[in-house]
Amino acid sequence: MSRQPRAFFALDFGSATTSAALVGHAGGRWRLLAHAAAPSATDLDAQLYGILERVGQADRDLLDFVTAQKRAKIAALVADLSRLESHSSPPRQIAVLAGSRRQRRRLEEVAARAGWLVVGGSADADDPLALSRLVLAPETDAVLLGADGIPSGDERRHLPMLGALVSAAARCRPELAVVLAGGAAVQESDFSGTGAHDRIPQVAETPADTGPPDTGPLAPGEAEPAAAAEAAADPSEAPSLAAPSLPAGTEAAPSEGDSPTSVAAPQVAPASMPVSAPDGRDRVLLAPDGEAGHPAGAALQQVLEGLRARADDTRLGIARSVRTLALLLDKPVEAVEVGINGGLRCRAEPFGTGQLTVAASHAAMAAGSFAPPNPSDDIVDSILAWSTVVLDRYRLSDRLYDMRICPWGEADGEGALLRLAAAKSAVARLVAATPEISARDMPYVLIAAGGVWASTPPSVVALAMADLVRRPGVSRLACDQARLLGPLGAITDEEERQTMLKDLMEDVLLPLGSLILPSGVRQGRSAGRMRVLGDSANSDIDLQPGGIWAVELPPGQTAVAEMDFKDTVRLGGRGHRFTVEVVGGLGGLFVDLRDIPLRLPDKADQKRSTWEAWQRAMWSEIDE
Amino acid sequence: MSVRRRTDAHALAPDFARIPARRIIVVSPTIHLRLGPGDRVLVNAGQKVVAGTTIIERTTDPEFVEVGRVRGSDNGRAAGTPAAPGWVSSTGTTVERRRPPVPGKWWVGGDDRRGRLARRDNPRRIAGTLLYELNERWTAAAGERHEQIESPVAGVVTAAANCIGVSMKVNGAAIMASVAGGQPSRGYLDVPRLVDGELRETSLDVGRSGAIIVAGGRVSAEALTKARAMSIRGMVAGSLGQAELRDLAASDARQRAGLHLVPPFGVLGLDGSQRRPIASPILAVLAALAGREAAIVTDPPLLVLDVADVPLPELPPDWVRVRSGTHAGREGRWLGSAGLHRFRAGIHLEAANVRLGDDLQPTVIALADLERFVS
Repeated sequence: MSRQPRAFFALDFGSATTSAALVGHAGGRWRLLAHAAAPSATDLDAQLYGILERVGQADRDLLDFVTAQKRAKIAALVADLSRLESHSSPPRQIAVLAGSRRQRRRLEEVAARAGWLVVGGSADADDPLALSRLVLAPETDAVLLGADGIPSGDERRHLPMLGALVSAAARCRPELAVVLAGGAAVQESDFSGTGAHDRIPQVAETPADTGPPDTGPLAPGEAEPAAAAEAAADPSEAPSLAAPSLPAGTEAAPSEGDSPTSVAAPQVAPASMPVSAPDGRDRVLLAPDGEAGHPAGAALQQVLEGLRARADDTRLGIARSVRTLALLLDKPVEAVEVGINGGLRCRAEPFGTGQLTVAASHAAMAAGSFAPPNPSDDIVDSILAWSTVVLDRYRLSDRLYDMRICPWGEADGEGALLRLAAAKSAVARLVAATPEISARDMPYVLIAAGGVWASTPPSVVALAMADLVRRPGVSRLACDQARLLGPLGAITDEEERQTMLKDLMEDVLLPLGSLILPSGVRQGRSAGRMRVLGDSANSDIDLQPGGIWAVELPPGQTAVAEMDFKDTVRLGGRGHRFTVEVVGGLGGLFVDLRDIPLRLPDKADQKRSTWEAWQRAMWSEIDE
Repeated sequence: MSVRRRTDAHALAPDFARIPARRIIVVSPTIHLRLGPGDRVLVNAGQKVVAGTTIIERTTDPEFVEVGRVRGSDNGRAAGTPAAPGWVSSTGTTVERRRPPVPGKWWVGGDDRRGRLARRDNPRRIAGTLLYELNERWTAAAGERHEQIESPVAGVVTAAANCIGVSMKVNGAAIMASVAGGQPSRGYLDVPRLVDGELRETSLDVGRSGAIIVAGGRVSAEALTKARAMSIRGMVAGSLGQAELRDLAASDARQRAGLHLVPPFGVLGLDGSQRRPIASPILAVLAALAGREAAIVTDPPLLVLDVADVPLPELPPDWVRVRSGTHAGREGRWLGSAGLHRFRAGIHLEAANVRLGDDLQPTVIALADLERFVS
């Protein structure tokens, strides 16, 4: 065959999980052909071999078609097919220094939202020795020294000392990245002798958009890649196989001896653009203060993300993909991702119907990890509060530690319950850290992503979302089961990403079901009735306050839910009667009449029983 | 014991290769010894050290000290005034005799250095490292008490800096652990008889002073306290709980606060925090090296063995160990893939059939709960 391959591997290298998917162009569009997830220590080639073998066993002709090779050896295909990669950036620590506690807290919040592990101190509360310990600690990778744009007196008098302290630390540790935010930029002259920060500009560079990679000479009848992208953007003009080109950001398969985790940095989207020093020397990064941007601190967050994250960072990739999905659907989209080294909450919302601009907000937080390193007592207590397993603090700490060193271990039985509690606690931390997202209406689609949900039953994932993202409204629930949002977010070109996601949207978003979540339902008596009118089943349900129900509605089916409440409730708007269109999913239709926010008993055992009752309703296999 | 051949996972089956691999030993790892403000290094990068060489001087009671002007740079004299004693003019050229002050430089000061002897009966003499200079006046992290730290291992220093730390490439091999507590320490390896994989606390006596004891599946807080009191240098166990680690850290802090210097004591958990026995291949290596010198290193957690050629146990190529779950710690032979299996709570996971120990029936275990050994 002379055609080029119409398939590539989308690889998400997480801290705990390596997720691989085979995406091929068949039947006039890009499709997810197979995917698999395995612990990150697993041999990647063995994983890819398994995927190709499965596809080959199911439909060898399809494999031959998308790989453009007839009966090729699987091992050869593993080596030949291109790869689109995203990686979880390793956790890094930043020391936040400020003149006042108020400023320190503000900066710590922003740094945490940018995904840093944060330690901090302020000159009005800590002595210079304690502050020096923070910046000289080997695990500290960067220092953020900040003040208001126009520093007030309580900050201004400490800035010279802090500038001298950080400058001295930078001379001891040339690898230390320094960010001067807001009014602290006046201390830039302190760093004139430190000299060794010339390496910092690499994060300030804008990777050039190099366009699609050179895929070699075109076969007869094939379109130019640019033309192919244009044709693919227009559905009416993209029916043929000539259209697809591999997305920019896909790498040619590594040659022998290459690391499978190699990165083609210029081809993937830049993380963020830090602001470099105005004189071009770039010895330190100058950044806006902690209040600039919308929401407050967004500008500084962008700088700090650029300093922390790889260019093909998975979490930032998910945030970009969510933005693209919002554009494609022309509706608000939200995602919650939880991993071993952090989590992400993001939302994108078009400004109006048909608009090509979206308002996006995200926080990629190290505290969003389901098994954070050295968990504080607060975190342990928070997991215990969500847990249906009876454990004391120390035993839970032991299990969290083991979960961290072996994230895939004991994923069944009690381990699954504990993992769910840890994941919910992580999502709760993410929700608490993103009030600007919680203040918005319920999204059109709510996506659960991340390795922690990989083995959890769909209805339980849906219940977790309902427990944590509690706003009145109707939302579709989905799961990024194949973990494609990260790699697709690494595609540089927005248009190309749109084309790819347009084709793959249904494959990427595994439907969990729909969630109906009214507020203002009075306790103690029947709240009303609901009728679900669908193609396959009609149901009539008495709405009992305080509970959550799952109505069977298979994936791919739509239905109309008519609700007649006795009292006025909020469900988007206020009223008694509502009619909404709902879609099915693996979990079905969820009707949640619990309080917003959830009200739980104070006693631990009663709280545990309440969780267990709700969980058992969605997880009948729990006692197996 | 003989040096065994490498287990070729791919030769068995691609499925076997998907089981996470665990190295029995690592060769020439790099270790780190961390320092803070007030601490200095006594070695340079590239220097070879043997175990027991003094490499670090730690200030045990560092405080923030305002030093003032420091000679050795221009900041100590006004323009036009004669050079400070630190500056020597010879043959018409100005030669600087001492290094200029820089952050992290060792500094010695105190009343006697300032001509204030009359003020105290016992003048303070303090030393530490310079922190930063502000308005031509230096500050330092310094204290009166210092302790010297010896290298627990032989190796080559790859990086050394005051206030930051020392990195060394170790000569020899090491066994990796998952969790560590206490300080780096050194002693002879003692592998006492274990009962059901556990060490009896009564086995800990002064006769084992100076030893690093292999303590079985789990080590308790009481055993750690007793071991420290007996001048035992360290313990190695299959697991080490977070509660025990906290107790050990608190005990360390108390002793430091009391300025009571005790021999370094370290502890390693090979597999994590939940109880499980030491893996048989690791235990075999430890037993083969009993009586030899070893060192506990905490960053990263390692048991460093002073031998380059470690005798490795002979293992069947399909040998696997359960590292987590209900069968954690058991070992057996991999029989083949079980595909996607439904486990407790309806969780579906890739699994394998394993014959554990002397069981007649194979057991289905999730692939992610297994580990295989590579040398």
